Amino acid sequence: MDALMLASELAKRPVVTLAGEVVAEVKDTVFDGTAGQITGFTLNGRGLLAGPLKQSLPWSSVHALGRHAVLVPGREALAEPAAVVASGEAAHGAVPGAKVLTDEGVEAGSVLDVVVAPDGRVVGFRISATEAFVHRDHGRHSVFVPRGEALAVSGRALVVPSGASHFVADDLPSFTTQVEIFAARAAASKGSKGTAAGREHL
Amino acid sequence: MMLFSGTKGLPVVTADEAAELGTVEALAVEAPLGLIGHLRLSGGPARKGRAWLPWSLVRAVGPDAVIVRSAAEPVVAEEPDHHEILGSRVLTDRGDEHGTVKDVAFDPATGRIGTVHTTQGNVSGHRLLGLGDYALVIRAE
Repeated sequence: MDALMLASELAKRPVVTLAGEVVAEVKDTVFDGTAGQITGFTLNGRGLLAGPLKQSLPWSSVHALGRHAVLVPGREALAEPAAVVASGEAAHGAVPGAKVLTDEGVEAGSVLDVVVAPDGRVVGFRISATEAFVHRDHGRHSVFVPRGEALAVSGRALVVPSGASHFVADDLPSFTTQVEIFAARAAASKGSKGTAAGREHL
Repeated sequence: MMLFSGTKGLPVVTADEAAELGTVEALAVEAPLGLIGHLRLSGGPARKGRAWLPWSLVRAVGPDAVIVRSAAEPVVAEEPDHHEILGSRVLTDRGDEHGTVKDVAFDPATGRIGTVHTTQGNVSGHRLLGLGDYALVIRAE
């Protein structure tokens, strides 16, 4: 899996065309209503144009999201702010700070940051976790939880699968490994359900 | 192959009149084509400031001089959109940095870029996508 990134780290990342020209820098990352995917970025100008730009960058116009820059095909990739903000308004700004609950109704903590993959998918959250969730007794912990398949986002709360507590990680590199395990297990359980359904037909 | 650094300061001399037009100050790269587009001259006898010469007029690049076809006004008046490649930041099209450009090796007969030497290894001229104010963008491997 390619390097995962924190949404907070994307701020100030330069937006560069394939011709090597810098056209803006990232101000905020905007997510869709279920916080499953980046829908785009709001932008700041650079240098003499510093400060919020009227234009935004829809995810569909992003060539690549890398560790040091967001690549766009050309200057024409920048669009009206409505292209990004209107569709993601519900989630934008609501994700960090949201309450985290497990699907068994246990409070797991609150969202500190969002973990994204280079393809724009949200793969997890950095949360300030409760003792009950991480089964440790040194107060609150900053841990990573995978987004999982069954996650729901309603208003200012996130519901994570209770099984996700077994996959909490303390740092991003070990989280990368755990996301892979979680995804593999989710895929395997789906596969076995499929087989069972197939047998019923026979 | 010759290095960009090795051409800086070479006198530019016409083949027909043996007139010295100036010295090489920089080479401008057409990154998407992997070719040198222009030479930038400085210090010509009849000229003040900079002048640009299209690479198509270059007949030979030797160790001691650049020979161009003729002095019959070969210099372009309009300045091409030039960004210095030496020292430029290198960025892959995946958005990851790849050091800075140390030097560029080119074929003096064709002006084709062979290898870009960066602080993080060599990059083939075929991988160049664009050269702008921020970076030289290369195709990721």
